[in-house]
Amino acid sequence: MSEVSRRHFLKLGACVVGGACAADALPSLGQAADNGDVTTLRTTLPYPRLKLAAIGQLTTEHELLTTYPDQASPVVLVKLGRPAHNGVGPDRDIVAFSRRCSHMGGALAFRAETGTFHCPLHYAMFDARKGGLMVIGQATDNLPQIELEVDTTGDIYAVGVKGLLYGRQANMLA
Amino acid sequence: MSSTYHGEDRVPIPPADAQQFTTVCSYCIVGCGYKVYKWPLGKEGGPLPHQNALKADYRRQQPEQAGTWISPAMHSVITERNGQRFNIVVLPDKDCVVNKGNHSVRGGTHGDVLYAPDRPTADRLTHPLLYRGQSQLPTTWDEAIELGALVIKASLDKWGSDTIAMKFFDHGGGGGGFENNWAAGKFFFTGIGTKMASIHNRPAYNSEVFASGDAGIAPLPSAYLDAELADTIMVIGANSYETQSIYFLEHMLPNLGGGTLPLKQQLLPGEPHAHGRMIIVDPRRTSTVAVAEAHAGKDNVLHLQINNGTDIALLNALSRLIHEQGWHDQEFIARRTENFAAFQAANLAQNLDEAVRLTGISKAQMMTAAEWIAKPKVNTARRRTLFLYEKGLIWGLKNYENVASVVDLALLTGNLGKPGTGCGRLGGHQEGYSRPAYPGQRPPVNVDEIAIKGGASKVFWVAGCNPAGGTLNAQQFRAYLAHRTALVNQALDATSSGSLNDRMAAVMTALDKGGLFLIVQDIYPIETAKYAHIVFPAAQWGEMNLTSINGERRLRLYQQFMDAPGIAEPDWKIMARMAQRLESAYRAEGKAEMAARFSGFTWTSDEEVFRAASAGVKGAQEDYGDTTYAMLKALGTNGVQTPVQEIRQGMPVGTTRLYMDEKQFTFIPSAWPGFPPQIQKLIDDPRYPFWVNNGRANHGWQTLYDDLRKPYVMGRAPFPHVEIHPQDARSLDIANGDLIELFNPYGTVSAMAVVTDSNAPGHVFMLFEHPKGWLNSLTTDYVDPATTIPYYKGTKAGIRKLGELPGLGEQLSFIPTNRT
Ligand code: SF4
Ligand code: FES
Repeated sequence: MSEVSRRHFLKLGACVVGGACAADALPSLGQAADNGDVTTLRTTLPYPRLKLAAIGQLTTEHELLTTYPDQASPVVLVKLGRPAHNGVGPDRDIVAFSRRCSHMGGALAFRAETGTFHCPLHYAMFDARKGGLMVIGQATDNLPQIELEVDTTGDIYAVGVKGLLYGRQANMLA
Repeated sequence: MSSTYHGEDRVPIPPADAQQFTTVCSYCIVGCGYKVYKWPLGKEGGPLPHQNALKADYRRQQPEQAGTWISPAMHSVITERNGQRFNIVVLPDKDCVVNKGNHSVRGGTHGDVLYAPDRPTADRLTHPLLYRGQSQLPTTWDEAIELGALVIKASLDKWGSDTIAMKFFDHGGGGGGFENNWAAGKFFFTGIGTKMASIHNRPAYNSEVFASGDAGIAPLPSAYLDAELADTIMVIGANSYETQSIYFLEHMLPNLGGGTLPLKQQLLPGEPHAHGRMIIVDPRRTSTVAVAEAHAGKDNVLHLQINNGTDIALLNALSRLIHEQGWHDQEFIARRTENFAAFQAANLAQNLDEAVRLTGISKAQMMTAAEWIAKPKVNTARRRTLFLYEKGLIWGLKNYENVASVVDLALLTGNLGKPGTGCGRLGGHQEGYSRPAYPGQRPPVNVDEIAIKGGASKVFWVAGCNPAGGTLNAQQFRAYLAHRTALVNQALDATSSGSLNDRMAAVMTALDKGGLFLIVQDIYPIETAKYAHIVFPAAQWGEMNLTSINGERRLRLYQQFMDAPGIAEPDWKIMARMAQRLESAYRAEGKAEMAARFSGFTWTSDEEVFRAASAGVKGAQEDYGDTTYAMLKALGTNGVQTPVQEIRQGMPVGTTRLYMDEKQFTFIPSAWPGFPPQIQKLIDDPRYPFWVNNGRANHGWQTLYDDLRKPYVMGRAPFPHVEIHPQDARSLDIANGDLIELFNPYGTVSAMAVVTDSNAPGHVFMLFEHPKGWLNSLTTDYVDPATTIPYYKGTKAGIRKLGELPGLGEQLSFIPTNRT
């Protein structure tokens, strides 16, 4: 793992098989969620702009595990090697998605050969090239996609989320 | 690149004082339990547990499978008749034993299909429509009922009962239920007295499992618990991951994965137990096969990839192998069955080599299946095998023998009336059948052929189904509908009088000349409604109280939680309006006997109809006896499994599993009959080289009447799809996303190609119903003469490429759905 990934990225590898450990392995709180008075009832979500990685850190088909918009929301950043819906970077092939299944929150595994996310709980499958389109499964929305921007230096920023992250009433916990 | 649909990025939470209702999914047989929360727009619950109705802490990320997450598709904002606006959340109920908080893509998107004038459901039928001025214009209930009653009565008086034909829902769940079925049955059977009755997507008034009934087995004998206890589950002609999703995920898969071993040991001590195994009979490698393999390991799943139409040969070959090995249940056969000799002469005579040739399944695979079904675990412990079948068998080559051959296999192996066993339907819709007796005979008359194409009926009332696309041989059916209804249109166009009596007279003249007066009752302006002279707007699920049972006979109350749009009414009320109008018309003429036939429709509430309908289920698997709405309300989403045996201390006592007593059964002889002439002709004609199998897909329900309003679903399924083998695709120069045409002498249809090896070469699979291309334009007019059930699952066609649709291939995903 790179420096960046050691600093920022959750280690979820053990949860990919079976999925049973996922709920325990993931932090359940965002950074600012301890205060019960903080309302989550905003109608427009002000998403933070957070650097996820630099383009140079990505190699084709290798996923980087990170979080967005807070540490309780695991995210995969991946360079697919082929253009993708909402893909960024010179090849328009860099995409990021929530790692929580939009069915009932199972911890998704990425399979590079097919460019798909797989859920161990009820076998949903999502297409990373097609904006997280559910290929098959019981989710009621496509997989939430992280909106990305690349600046002139090649740093990749997350700037928003399309769709509601599993397990949240609003994507910003607090 | 185009973009992919995503819902809102937040949902409102129900406040602690939100109104709460219990209901059941409006869609499939599984009948997952749901909770409904309703509260005024502009108000929201807070994130702390005491601030919201789910008592959840929304400051935190909810853990997986928490049951407290509301997806955007579960929420809607509705407007009641008085203009008040409310938030509604339809949330899977984690306290329901059927789904335990789980849901499929279909049930999990109920928020999208609630009526709202500012959402995609805005095209709901809100008012009765009458054909007027070459158009269908809104009118009052009184006028629509009046014209309908005038035409029905005149036809009835002049030509008799059978000139009034109907095609109605007969199921439970959304748009059905005991209440609506009873009212419709009472109207047509007691009132009109017509034999020209047909059900849902069938050409006749029939059971889909006459053979099972003749053997003494109700369609739904088992409990979902039995799928957790079985040693082997044999699924025939069903893609359960996609069509009985939560039964499969919550009750079958845990058994295959070993999760129910403790339960087996606890409930069935004294015999060895292992992970369950699954046999799947399907011409296609489906997602069900893939998911079962992923969960159970390939060694515990046997996919028998059968050739279209050859189920009887396969099932009889299995019976023969089991009998030859001495694995049949001699004691059960002797004690609880009759007619074994006839079964032996017909079924066990199945030549094994012929079965291999017909089915395309090897003898080795058949032997494995025989072992998994019946090879005793130890000398004293038989395997517990649960046989579950659905449309692949029911709508296969010959309905009666198809069903008989699996029923016989279950009787041969003693798999009824014991935990972990059974032989029944998986089911499509939920059930809610209760009607006075059908006045016709068996086999029932083919209404499509005799009444509509043949002209024997002059009035046709269609409710809750869409035969213009959904019936067999649908292109021909549409042609007759168009022609015969146009004669009435022309007569009405030529009438300048303002009197309804004059219009009725004009209609009668047209009917005399071969015209057809069409009444359509539905929630949306469906394809069949385009031809209608009167359109009645019906209420849907959630807009009336209704009751139904699921695939394990679980009876529940589906509570009303909102108004129907405009002046739409529940089906039972529409039937009552018409009956009362006819009753008063006959009374005015002094025809007391006719008036009496239409009497007794004075119900004032859903529950009164529910109580009346109990008369129609006496002694049946649905028998709910003296159960009341109040009892069901108290029982919530878990309800009670029918038949209800008694009311004890104010609550119904149900039945987990049928036939735990000494109930007797009958073997039904069934030999493979060969292909009927219509199919053989297609087989012999090189212009139609492809077998066209068909079925449902995970994301859509029935004709997609609701799904068309779900942007998430339609973003994935803008056209019907055809799965075609790469080898065939290559030879026809077809790629993923291409538009193709399928054609045969019965009709033509276009669809979108999906290139996949799920089928064998020479076999394609098409989505059964989609308004942008009806598969049934290709099905033949063949029905099993014994039951009048069509062979929907098998036809043959030629295929040609039409071309590409720009952007389509980019928008959709063509990753095979049958891999994990
Ligand atoms: S499995 Fe059937 S009953 Fe359950 S949510 Fe899905 S469609 Fe509804
Ligand atoms: S949680 Fe992913 S498929 Fe159910």
